[in-house]
Amino acid sequence: MKIKVTQEKLSKALNNISRVAISKATLPILNNVLIRVDSKKVSLTTTNLDMAIIDFLPVSSSEDGVITIPARLLAEFVSNLPRGENIEIESKNDKVTISAGKYSSTINGAPADDFPELPEINEKNAVIYKIGVDDFKTSVSQVVVASSNDLTRPALTGVFFNTDGSILRIAATDGYRLAEKKIIDNVESEVKAIVPTNSLQEVLRSISDDVEEIEISFNDDLVRFRLGEVEIISKLIDASFPDYQKLIPKNPEIKVILNREELTRVTKLAALFSKSVGGSIICESKTPDTFLVKSIANEFGENDSKIETEVEKDGKINLNSRFLLDALNALEDSEVNFQFSGHVAPVILKNQHNDKYIHIIMPLNS
Amino acid sequence: MYDVWQNALAEIEQQISVANFSTWFQDTSLITAEDGNIKIGVKNSFYVKQLRARYYDIIANALKNNNTQVNNIEFEVVSTNKPKIKPREISTVQPIKTQIKTIRKNNHEIKSFSNGLNPKYTLDNFVIGSNNELAVAAAKSIINSPGDKYNPFFLYGGPGLGKTHLVQAIGNELLRNNPDCKILYTPISHFYSDFIDAIQNGKGKEFNLKFQKLDCLIIDDFQFIVNKEKSQEEFFNIFNDLYQLNKQIIVTSDRLPSQIKTVDERLSTRLTWAGAFDIQLPKFEDKCAILRAKAELQGAEIEPEAIEYIAENVNTNIRDLEGELSTILLMSEVRGLTPLELINNGSVSVNKTSKLRPVSAKQIVDKTAKYYNLSTKEMCGKSRIANIKNARQVTMFLLSKELNLSTNKIAAEVGVKDHTTVMHGIKKIEKDLKLNFILRDQIEEIKEKIYG
Repeated sequence: MKIKVTQEKLSKALNNISRVAISKATLPILNNVLIRVDSKKVSLTTTNLDMAIIDFLPVSSSEDGVITIPARLLAEFVSNLPRGENIEIESKNDKVTISAGKYSSTINGAPADDFPELPEINEKNAVIYKIGVDDFKTSVSQVVVASSNDLTRPALTGVFFNTDGSILRIAATDGYRLAEKKIIDNVESEVKAIVPTNSLQEVLRSISDDVEEIEISFNDDLVRFRLGEVEIISKLIDASFPDYQKLIPKNPEIKVILNREELTRVTKLAALFSKSVGGSIICESKTPDTFLVKSIANEFGENDSKIETEVEKDGKINLNSRFLLDALNALEDSEVNFQFSGHVAPVILKNQHNDKYIHIIMPLNS
Repeated sequence: MYDVWQNALAEIEQQISVANFSTWFQDTSLITAEDGNIKIGVKNSFYVKQLRARYYDIIANALKNNNTQVNNIEFEVVSTNKPKIKPREISTVQPIKTQIKTIRKNNHEIKSFSNGLNPKYTLDNFVIGSNNELAVAAAKSIINSPGDKYNPFFLYGGPGLGKTHLVQAIGNELLRNNPDCKILYTPISHFYSDFIDAIQNGKGKEFNLKFQKLDCLIIDDFQFIVNKEKSQEEFFNIFNDLYQLNKQIIVTSDRLPSQIKTVDERLSTRLTWAGAFDIQLPKFEDKCAILRAKAELQGAEIEPEAIEYIAENVNTNIRDLEGELSTILLMSEVRGLTPLELINNGSVSVNKTSKLRPVSAKQIVDKTAKYYNLSTKEMCGKSRIANIKNARQVTMFLLSKELNLSTNKIAAEVGVKDHTTVMHGIKKIEKDLKLNFILRDQIEEIKEKIYG
């Protein structure tokens, strides 16, 4: 096995894929990156057995062969080499020599036979969607904030991709809040699948500037993301996602429009006083034109901020300030819709000008 | 079977490295081994490929050495990480897991030959209680001999009490007894729009003919009948034709035909020839029974106390009852708490009383007195006769629950001296309500009288 490649390209690829490799230590080979050269096609692969990431590396010249070497070590070595160097990687038996001008090192590798075989998407019965990179990036980041990391409830540790008619939606919830985004509105095929949040975060990190479109393929228990030269394969979570549509209140009684920046600022102010009460702040609407955000901490004092806006009905709700800030951060418009009814039903937050994204937060007990 | 796999695992462990063994064989299980077709459960699809590619022979040999016939080994993904709290344990229905369909199904196929019946409505999943047992008895008689005794079958009651369910169930049962039976279920509004379409396209006769061929006609929501002479005339004709041929006619409405202003008197009397059957609001026990049946159908577990809480707080109709139940079950799934825990910590609150017109304190006092056959004067005051005292306490309870009056005001309304008497009275009724079902029904009935 032999490849020749520039420092920039190799370093970028290794930095991206080595994150997956280092996470598990039970099976030492999982720390390694698999370098495979098969008739000019060079691929770098790492896996943690929940997902795998493959980078097809464009190289100037190569000789066929396959080897594995510790990913982290290789990545750090390469990233410390001067930019613009041409790097040559060559394996003989299990020894891998990396040389770049004056620099050279030899790393002990392991035979590729021990590296796990990766599952593949069956192209024939796969469901495939394509989406612009920017859309995907924004939408996924807007939704993952609401996902849970409680491993005892696996369904909530992922993002639910589901179709309703011709609309593809993604949703996540941790039981206290829920975010949903409609990402494609003219899909032909149906899907209901939970993609692990961790895998999606790897996808987000792997997006580079030169990628314009992401191809997502679903199989029975696998999903594959293709973004330029990078391919990410992940398991799906084998659990049932709650029928979350029913959680979204249909006719909220109180609807106010608020400036997002202003609401963010007053929420941050109120949050300062709410630490001792678990971040609980009070949002209150008062006719005809006042929206109040309050917090009380017995030992420090209290905070009280007003926002002027049109209000048609009085109401009051207790919210977790961190959840509210997360939601405001995920919204995009300068004006947001804040809708609720009474203190037990969840609050709905939406952009003022489009309905594609919806974020709901369960109130705290008052 | 479990032991075989444990033995096989012990053997495999000897042959491969500890790291490999603990990585690949941890969390595996033997699902079946019938006739040499081995099925092994693994964590996720990453494991399937590796086990098949690298360890197939080792597994096969290990199983053979343990006297298991091996023709073929398959690997299947089974989730091992079960959630700790599972509100839906005894599911008979498979939960929706990953579902992938490449091509969307056409919905047209059903439309073309529609009798309007939805097969999900059956008598088996209709909860029978004192509020509907007469109507159900009549329905059963119709299923056994359609067009005979109860023809036309006129069913009335408020929205969401199960009228549509019951008549659809009749249609479905008739169809099951006799698959050739020609049945049409249609809301009256569809009947109209179809009729107008037919007239406009010059197909009036064909429209009439289509109905004359029916064995059973089910008309839903008859109260929406409009006072357009021609279409009402048409309905009347079809009604007469079918009736003369002894074909079963079923009509539902939210009130009696005589109370619908737009209905022609001839039609009105004809509709109730065989009597009118009503479905009433379910009583407390009926509501509990409905909730239990519904929860069982969904395969969900819910505490009896939670059921009672919902039953007590939903006083509108069965649709709301089922709606509240499924909201609570869903929340319980999402939050990982049981329904009762949710109710107790205040995360859900159910309060569905029909949006009734406001009533005054005097109305409540008068109606309650009347219900107990007392004059208002008799009831209010200091009489300590048991039944009078009880009526007075019920009045206090209602004044407090329905109008949220202060105890002092209530004292003034029912003519007792001070508010402590009132507090005691309300508490007593609240306590009695927990055990005394007759009292519960009485209070429901009084409420109906007050708001009715």
